Amino acid sequence: MDYKTIKKSEITEFLDNLIKEYEIAAPIEKDDIVVFDKIKSSNGVILEYSNSVKSPKKFVIPQFETLISYNTNEDTTNVKEHLDEQKQFILFGARPCDARSFLFLDKVFSDEKNRDIYYKNRRDVVLIISLGCTQPQETCFCTTTGGGPFSSEGSDLLLVDIGDDYIIQVITDKGAELVKKLGLKNAQKDELAEMDRVIKKSEAKIEPDLELNNLKDKLDNSFDGSDWETLTEKCLSCGVCTYLCPTCHCFDIVDEEKNRKGERIRIWDSCQFPHFTMQASGFNPRPTYKERYRQRIMHKFSYCIDNYNMVGCVGCGRCISECPVNLDIRQVLTSLYYSMLSGRT
Amino acid sequence: MADLSSSIREEAKKLLKKGEADVIIGFEKGSLPLCATPCFIRNEADVEKLIWNEFCGNNLSRYLIKAKGKVGIIAKGCDTRAIVELIKEKQVQREQIVIIGVPCEGMVDRKQIMMRCQGNKITNVEDRDERLLITGDLLNVAVKKDECLYPGCQVCTNRNPVMYDVLIGSTSEEQQTDEFTDVTNFDGKSSEERWEYITHEISKCIRCYACRNACPLCYCKECFVDTTQPQWVGKTTGQTDTLLFHIMRSIHLAGRCVECGACERACPVTVDIRKLNRKMSADVKKLFDYKTGLDIDQPAPLSTFKPDDSEEFMLDI
Amino acid sequence: MKNPYLPTPMKVEKNVIETGDRNIKTLTLSFLNNKDEEIFNFIPGQFVELSVLGAGEAPFGIASSPMEKKHIDFTISKVGLVTAQLHNLEPGDTVGMRGPLGNGYPIELLRNKNIFIIGGGFGFSTLRAFTNFMLHPDNRKHYGDITVVYGARNPGLLLYKNELSEWEQRNDIQLHVTVDKGDESWKGKTGVVPVIVKELSIDAENTTTLVCGPPVMIKFTLPVLAELGLAPQQTYLSLEMKMKCGIGKCGRCNIGSKYVCTDGPVFSLAQLNKLPQEY
Ligand SMILES: Cc1cc2nc3c(=O)[nH]c(=O)nc-3n(C[C@H](O)[C@H](O)[C@H](O)COP(=O)(O)OP(=O)(O)OC[C@H]3O[C@@H](n4cnc5c(N)ncnc54)[C@H](O)[C@@H]3O)c2cc1C
Ligand code: SF4
Ligand code: SF4
Ligand code: SF4
Ligand code: SF4
Ligand code: FES
Repeated sequence: MDYKTIKKSEITEFLDNLIKEYEIAAPIEKDDIVVFDKIKSSNGVILEYSNSVKSPKKFVIPQFETLISYNTNEDTTNVKEHLDEQKQFILFGARPCDARSFLFLDKVFSDEKNRDIYYKNRRDVVLIISLGCTQPQETCFCTTTGGGPFSSEGSDLLLVDIGDDYIIQVITDKGAELVKKLGLKNAQKDELAEMDRVIKKSEAKIEPDLELNNLKDKLDNSFDGSDWETLTEKCLSCGVCTYLCPTCHCFDIVDEEKNRKGERIRIWDSCQFPHFTMQASGFNPRPTYKERYRQRIMHKFSYCIDNYNMVGCVGCGRCISECPVNLDIRQVLTSLYYSMLSGRT
Repeated sequence: MADLSSSIREEAKKLLKKGEADVIIGFEKGSLPLCATPCFIRNEADVEKLIWNEFCGNNLSRYLIKAKGKVGIIAKGCDTRAIVELIKEKQVQREQIVIIGVPCEGMVDRKQIMMRCQGNKITNVEDRDERLLITGDLLNVAVKKDECLYPGCQVCTNRNPVMYDVLIGSTSEEQQTDEFTDVTNFDGKSSEERWEYITHEISKCIRCYACRNACPLCYCKECFVDTTQPQWVGKTTGQTDTLLFHIMRSIHLAGRCVECGACERACPVTVDIRKLNRKMSADVKKLFDYKTGLDIDQPAPLSTFKPDDSEEFMLDI
Repeated sequence: MKNPYLPTPMKVEKNVIETGDRNIKTLTLSFLNNKDEEIFNFIPGQFVELSVLGAGEAPFGIASSPMEKKHIDFTISKVGLVTAQLHNLEPGDTVGMRGPLGNGYPIELLRNKNIFIIGGGFGFSTLRAFTNFMLHPDNRKHYGDITVVYGARNPGLLLYKNELSEWEQRNDIQLHVTVDKGDESWKGKTGVVPVIVKELSIDAENTTTLVCGPPVMIKFTLPVLAELGLAPQQTYLSLEMKMKCGIGKCGRCNIGSKYVCTDGPVFSLAQLNKLPQEY
């Protein structure tokens, strides 16, 4: 791997240069919370932050987008695909967990057979410059789900904060190309040693792994267990956990029409909402919070492994810090796991 | 805040033992610092889990409708106001519940404190009466609790339960604030400024419905935002759709909202949802001289007709 | 690259009321563009997303056989937004279609088997498609005995009445039509589907059953099939779930790790027994 370095004081200039050529999204503070937003200048970009409240998935799956539009006159209907050309896009300062989430979304949307070209259209232009975590939070559990505070999976470049400078790890060819263009300095030996120290120190700080060996098997056996009911009793069936989650990707498709002009729109949807699975007959296979929360857990920690060979959670902790009733996914997993171990359910 | 946890546990234990409640809905320690979480206690051994502190913000009356059997519920002032409304609206039967009232001194907003910690991990929180001492790796701050209260708690004038079967501890001193200063101030702005403010707030909304689902009075089996036949509200997060959702919700809550702030606390993206609901409360007060959730026998103003009802809101056309 | 969300324009040929309560219609469509027609190949049991612009999309099983060229049929029960609009269509109107979607009946596996078809409600539509497929002169020799049990709540709700009488005349198919409750003019069988199935003497050996119908019918028919000695590998069900995308993306139609829209809608009972009972 190649290692470059850049002074922290040069980051503004670095960003302002990139802005000339690319669309850039970076973490900024807006209305008292940190969000990823497209920026016009490096002003206001914050890199000392834990993580954004909303995940950056919105850049590849916006909350709502037009798939097709149409207009009807006397005897013809014109249907138009909405695949606008996308400008090269850099997601700057994303956390490694979020960078990994893009790999997961790729598996869902870019399969051979039913490739989602709206997703691909947006995704193809994305370059991710992520920022390793020197301050993992109490809600972070990325190491349990296969990542880590400096995991490079999904990133094109990864920054490591070593005090006055950042080391830039060059992960992909795409990343290498950008670095070459910008003519960044190679990192020196002592800087690399410092980087190793920083990484070790941070890794020691992260909450210990939940020890959940063969979690999938345990979950598969727990489906009919009585624990689900008690564990989820406080759940409000809201959309917070799924909408903020970087890997949740479920959507609805609806038509909106006015004066014979209309659009077919795709909109985020959530397995926590009762109407998600409500059939036309009125029958609902997941009628209560219990079945719906179970779906969320099973989908992420069992079904996704079957279908995509990857856990559907990157351990970012958003669902933990933002759930209005503090229904902590780690506690749910651990409880299920250990009650299955002890054969209680 | 006096430690009321042990009295709550005792009460809960008594109720379960005597069979006066099948389940106690209360709070237990949360999984995060500065956080308590709702819990459902069904046997005596588990009452030890129950706690009471300044992080018990959730309005537990939200759970009453779906609860089965006889329910004991821990309730602050605002929570009891919600229970009063739920009983009035025949969603809950008075005989089915035992209210364990707890006088409140305002609930502390975890997120405000997190903001002060600037993304640093908290490793320890010490309770020093009026203050919280918060420490972490790169962190050492003392926070005055009453500087970090939820916005609703700051203007609350019903900290003491308005209806209860048992009262824990001693009553709190009620705040002597002019209840609707915030509304009056907002009314004083120009219509452009008000529009600007409301549309800005609405633009943050991700339509997760946490506000609605946390609200004790939003119990409709089928909410107007979800119906498809007819579809009243579009599903996008565009301005029209989102604004319509919030306006219709607040109108549906006029004279019913108990100002517990559950909606605002639940919102992950800091939408000032109370702004609309507060305006409704102020109007209902002005037009009908009615404050929600105080008296179980007082008829709800918007679902009863009186010949001398105020008609100020009618438009002359 | 192909856009899986882009509907193919189709022309309405006919839209005919099927049932006495006027709530089910059979919609016949043809392709507006030859190119689309050339690439459209399907297997009985597959479905499509039909869309009326402005109202939206909904999934429907293909009710006609792939051996019939030039037109595609759907039998549609009016329950809501999209289905109401589909009922309003008149010949010459345009609708959108995406598909074919899903796996369809396992026609290769079914070759040389005796086929036992059990259907109820509009669920019968894809079974009708498959039956007509088998009855086609080119195909009949590939299948053994064909037995069909088809039930409706009352005689007025029976679909495809003309076709049923044609089948009745043939000697290469055993047809048992039943209604839950008859009326004065009803001369056929009375009784719910599982009861009729029980009365038949089906030789379980070398027989494969295809079942599609309302959940209650399925619930009470499965035990009867087991009694008749039909193993779970010999029983196939076509399932219904709420669907939107039809291509395994929108996330709502799964049973365990299987998506009904792509892995189904046809599953063997043996497969289903391994999945959570959440359907
Ligand atoms: C693989 C597959 C094949 C199918 N094949 C056929 C077929 O061949 N023929 C056929 O007729 N159908 C078929 N269906 C079912 C068909 O897809 C549905 O009936 C259709 O989607 C209904 O769409 P709609 O827009 O008309 O109904 P919607 O407007 O979506 O709603 C339909 C009904 O549900 C009720 N409803 C809607 N929203 C709610 C709510 N929020 N709460 C409670 N009730 C609600 C409505 O009141 C209404 O009665 C099939 C389904 C699948 C999955
Ligand atoms: S777990 Fe929490 S965030 Fe998720 S639906 Fe339940 S209450 Fe909402
Ligand atoms: S499930 Fe929770 S922790 Fe996992 S990726 Fe989603 S929001 Fe993050
Ligand atoms: S099914 Fe639920 S948990 Fe899974 S991706 Fe969809 S919304 Fe997220
Ligand atoms: S909780 Fe907040 S984001 Fe969610 S619907 Fe309500 S206002 Fe919108
Ligand atoms: S219908 Fe969208 S995943 Fe099956």
